Amino acid sequence: MNDTELISQILDGNMNAFTFLVNRYQKLVVHISGRLIQRQDELEDVCQEVFIKVYQNLGKYRNECKLSTWIATIAYNSSVNYLRKFSKFDEVNPDDSIALRNLVDFRTENYETTDLKHYIREQIELLPIQYRTVVTLFHLEEFSYQEVEQITGMAEGTVKSYLFRAKALLREKLKHIVDENSLKLVKEISNEKG
Amino acid sequence: MRKDELTEILDRSLRGEPDFRLPVDFAQKVTSSIVKRERWKSDLQDYFFLTAIIVGLIAAASGIYYLVDKELLVRAFNFCEKNWVTVAFLFFTINFVLFVDKVLLRFLFNRWKTD
Repeated sequence: MNDTELISQILDGNMNAFTFLVNRYQKLVVHISGRLIQRQDELEDVCQEVFIKVYQNLGKYRNECKLSTWIATIAYNSSVNYLRKFSKFDEVNPDDSIALRNLVDFRTENYETTDLKHYIREQIELLPIQYRTVVTLFHLEEFSYQEVEQITGMAEGTVKSYLFRAKALLREKLKHIVDENSLKLVKEISNEKG
Repeated sequence: MRKDELTEILDRSLRGEPDFRLPVDFAQKVTSSIVKRERWKSDLQDYFFLTAIIVGLIAAASGIYYLVDKELLVRAFNFCEKNWVTVAFLFFTINFVLFVDKVLLRFLFNRWKTD
């Protein structure tokens, strides 16, 4: 069933179709809201609020963008509102050295036994909020720059800049530990575990 | 080359799913919560609609009596003024019974059924 059929069924009052929609898009919502609010105990409530808004506003959806983009916008705005309510939404500091200090050093001596992907994932959670958001939308959910712009309201140039800076921060933490040989080994370990 | 490899590892990690999870029955929970909300809203609308009809009927009856028998309407008004506590209590009781019947009992019944 495509999204258009699904929407028309929901608007006709078919609640099973809505359950189907929630199942289809809950991963998208949990990734966006989870990365933003970072609280497992509050996540279910925020996601529930997102889907209630989706249901209430579905009649206003006008196929101008993909349904996933529209739902992602609601998820992003709801999560930002949640964070603002508790004054946890910080603006990006132009100086990335503070963000860099927040990241944990990768332990050179035991990298063979450490899951590098797991380490990077942990560091993503420590990145500034806007960096985490664009990284999640662009890399994990594979939205285009234009779609990320539409979802977050950030200009395309800003999105590109945040992506670059996020990667640069992560690379900065990793570059000093890898040489030609050790990087190959890390890659092999990463491939095995992935 | 080294830079490319590092970029590749980074890109693959960035595409990795975070550890946040929702309960397996999340979709059912959301749907039933929406159904409950919609039912509550429609029950409340029914209640207000019925209250408006009753108040409208009383107003219409008063209007008719104003034209037909103004004396009776004035006496009724005086009675209400003198016994305003009893009248208010009666009005409140009828309204409360209507609210319980149209909204509260249905809400509690649905809650009990889903629990």
